[in-house]
Amino acid sequence: MYATADMLLTSPEAHAAEQPQETAVEVVLVRAVLDGDRDGFARLYDLYAPLVHGILLARVPRAEVDDLVQDIFLHAFRKLHTLRDESAFGPWIAMIARNRAVDFYRRSRETVEISDEVRGSDTHDSRAREILELIRSLPEAYRETLILRLVEGMTGPEIAARTGLTAASVRVNLHRGMKMLRERLGFMEGL
Amino acid sequence: MNDDYLWDKTGEPDPEIQNLEEILGALRYQPKPLDIPQELPAPRHRRNHFPVLAIAASVLLALIAAGVWLRVRTQGESQPQHASAAPAPVVEEKAPDPVKPANKELATNEPAKKRDLPPLSRHTKHRSPTLARHEREEALAAKEQVMLALRLTSEKLSMVHKKTQSNQIKNQHRVG
Repeated sequence: MYATADMLLTSPEAHAAEQPQETAVEVVLVRAVLDGDRDGFARLYDLYAPLVHGILLARVPRAEVDDLVQDIFLHAFRKLHTLRDESAFGPWIAMIARNRAVDFYRRSRETVEISDEVRGSDTHDSRAREILELIRSLPEAYRETLILRLVEGMTGPEIAARTGLTAASVRVNLHRGMKMLRERLGFMEGL
Repeated sequence: MNDDYLWDKTGEPDPEIQNLEEILGALRYQPKPLDIPQELPAPRHRRNHFPVLAIAASVLLALIAAGVWLRVRTQGESQPQHASAAPAPVVEEKAPDPVKPANKELATNEPAKKRDLPPLSRHTKHRSPTLARHEREEALAAKEQVMLALRLTSEKLSMVHKKTQSNQIKNQHRVG
């Protein structure tokens, strides 16, 4: 028996343990939306917004992330009928997010970015931004996986299920990425 | 490094990873409601026309094939018949067959095409017994071939239908 969307939404830990159920839930939700249920899309948004947020955080300035998350989900809502495999909603929206991040830099090449350091005042927050910058300097595969794990709090199996990557790839990315991050953190501490 | 904790948060917690989680948690996604404009039309199912098109195409192909086959048979038969004006026993189709007995009467006055027009039922009574038997065999063979073609087409259509049905059932099972 499969869990309902409500069960998964109310207990994030539950769907970490039972990935096939989440797949069934996203299939149900995608079909509901295509049948005219707008609330179903709100549930998909609740489920996948952290994933999109993490993917964007690995690529674009933090101040732009929230607006882009909204844009991406509105775009996904309009284009949902083009999704052929309902169970692939996660990989599909992850790809939209990555493409949108590329577009962001293409469109805003000439605008001046306000760096995150300028805005920060809290020490804890500024430390977070420093580490985020270090993660962003890692190879793309590592930074996305690490941000989803360390910032968004997803587990490896969750990352694999939602992004469409294999569990083995995610595990390798986490391990190697963490190793590189430790090295760079040690280098930063040593300065 | 504790890989299990990094992988799925099980096992002995790694203090360094926990520290990073705590610091970076400040950047975590803060839930915000998604505002979908009411004027934005809801997405709709993309209709899958493939099964319908496949069925229509199969039926059309079967009809064309049958038509071409009948036409070739008819033409192949009518030309030598007209030249000799004799009832040749190679006719395989029903439509032109009944004309043959009338050939003797009409050969000099009517063109060949007109002889094809009268319906089968009107002339079956006038055919000679030997020709009728032969013609019947030919016609039955032709009919068998057409029926076989239609049966094949029907099988293919039912396969397409079953495939579509099974996909739907499979999806329903997945949904639970």
